[in-house]
Amino acid sequence: MGENGSKVMSAKEAVSRFINDGDEVIIGNYTVGTCMALVFEICRQHKNELTLYSQSGVLDVDILVNAGCVSRLVTTYVLRSGGKNGGGAVERALLSGSLEIEDYTNFDYNARLVAGMHGLNFIQVLEGVIPTDLFNRRGFLGENKYRVIECPYTGKQILTVPAVNPDVCIVHVQRADEFGNAQYWGAMGSVAAAALSSKRIILSCEEIVSRDVVRASPHFTIIPSFRVDALVQVPWGAHPTEVLGHYNMDSPFYGIFTNANTKADKARKWIEEWVYDCPDRESYLNHYITKFGIGALDQLRSKPFYSTPANYGAAFTSVWDENGRERAMGLTLKELEARLEERGLLYE
Amino acid sequence: MSKGYTLNELLIITCAKEIKDYQKVILGVGLPTTAGALAKALYAPHAILMMESGIIDFEPLVPLNHIADAHSCRGFSYSTDLFTTFTMTYRGFVDICFLGVGQVDRYGNVNTTCIGDYHHPTLRLTGSGGAPDFIAYAKKTVLTLRGGQFVEKLDYFTSAGHLSGGDSRERSGLFPKGSGPSMLLTTKGVFNFDPVTKEMYLARIHPGVTAEEIKKEIPWDLKIASDLSLTERPTDREIDFVRRFAPGESVGREMRTELSIQKVLNRAAEMKGTSA
Repeated sequence: MGENGSKVMSAKEAVSRFINDGDEVIIGNYTVGTCMALVFEICRQHKNELTLYSQSGVLDVDILVNAGCVSRLVTTYVLRSGGKNGGGAVERALLSGSLEIEDYTNFDYNARLVAGMHGLNFIQVLEGVIPTDLFNRRGFLGENKYRVIECPYTGKQILTVPAVNPDVCIVHVQRADEFGNAQYWGAMGSVAAAALSSKRIILSCEEIVSRDVVRASPHFTIIPSFRVDALVQVPWGAHPTEVLGHYNMDSPFYGIFTNANTKADKARKWIEEWVYDCPDRESYLNHYITKFGIGALDQLRSKPFYSTPANYGAAFTSVWDENGRERAMGLTLKELEARLEERGLLYE
Repeated sequence: MSKGYTLNELLIITCAKEIKDYQKVILGVGLPTTAGALAKALYAPHAILMMESGIIDFEPLVPLNHIADAHSCRGFSYSTDLFTTFTMTYRGFVDICFLGVGQVDRYGNVNTTCIGDYHHPTLRLTGSGGAPDFIAYAKKTVLTLRGGQFVEKLDYFTSAGHLSGGDSRERSGLFPKGSGPSMLLTTKGVFNFDPVTKEMYLARIHPGVTAEEIKKEIPWDLKIASDLSLTERPTDREIDFVRRFAPGESVGREMRTELSIQKVLNRAAEMKGTSA
């Protein structure tokens, strides 16, 4: 809860209260709609020695590594800037020895979260990885990256990975109610598992909606309110990545970042301009608009394509019918009470 | 004489022809997503296109930025998570998948993790993503190589092809029978795998390329099909589709990036002009 008794707070307050140096931090979003506003805030607060979990790094991972926040990375995929002749922060940090990495396949990484989310100790994964270096080469997890055990039922050798419960998940969704019920749709990836496996959850959303909106569409809720520690309302919170139903990827701006990311000094300058020199997302957006015009944002805005509402209706919403009679027994409350009295079932 | 085509267009079209009607298809990043759209539009209208992000049975209207791009279509039939997409593959429900390659050896084993030492790499590539899981259990895998290289020994063994050749993949007991890479498409030609030795051989060459040129890039003595043929020339209909659907893919990443950054910078310069 925030100081005012609510979970709704600024990115600054959320990151400062719920992320500690040395934490295991997981980026909940997978490839799309990544929680950029929260990532930028972590950089601004110079959180360090983080073990970062990212299923699929877009610019989020490279920015955090560039900013010196990360000392260990568990991942399956990190976007490489500029193809073969390019590079990126992760590559530079590995080369200089300031970053350790542990590689998993998409499934095996996700399986660790699923095990963590359900409270299991470990989980069986797909054995096809056994001949490869994913299995054979170990980083800082060593023997505990993968273990092979005998299936107690079939006697077959099965491959397992350990559960993980990161300290904190940062994740961006389309909408949430003020209690933190988080609604997300589109590419589901491993978003729910990342959040639900974590000990704490910092949620950012494009908009806060009323509790009624959530209750009429529970199939979109991927994180229940009681798991959420902080809720940050931040329109354009994933820019320059995309949020379905809100805005598309800002490819040219993304391109400017990936261009800068290929060289350490250029990357530093980009981060200074867009992260350190903008105290929050609002000032980031103002800077963007000053530089490229509101038109550049406007052309990214989604045109609506609404999901068909699902009918959650039932035959009645009260056990008493329009004449005040209980539907099954056919009596009014008064008549029922009289019967109870008659039969001596009421205690004084 | 039909119209001229770019190399990227040839690759996309060649890739697309591997997709048959009614197949369930996993599309990897890049070229395959456009190939999938082309196949669905021209040859395989009932194919079920799937991406590991859990977007299942979609029809892209614009080119995909990546494998979680729900912005490229108006809805899709089944929204599931990544975990389920992979277990669906594990259980044998995926007919064909397409994967990009950084390094490849003669048996179609793949590296997409790093060049040089793993812990301190000269080049850190993207990492495995879902490739090792898909190549293991999809009934068939098509590999694509654009910027990558052929090597005797992979710097890092990311995804299992035909292991050490022959029946080694089957003998390992780790993979479904008949699975593994069936074809490798490069910027110069098409390679298939010998049914017995599982070593790749050159099956088709793209127009204007010689077998000698291809052999030069390959560190082992490459076998060449006795009936080596030319990659089929794209038809106007195919070229038109790709160029209208994904002009950015037709022209290639370099030109696309150059032109789009130029456009933004021009815009910023114009803004400066108006505000001054």
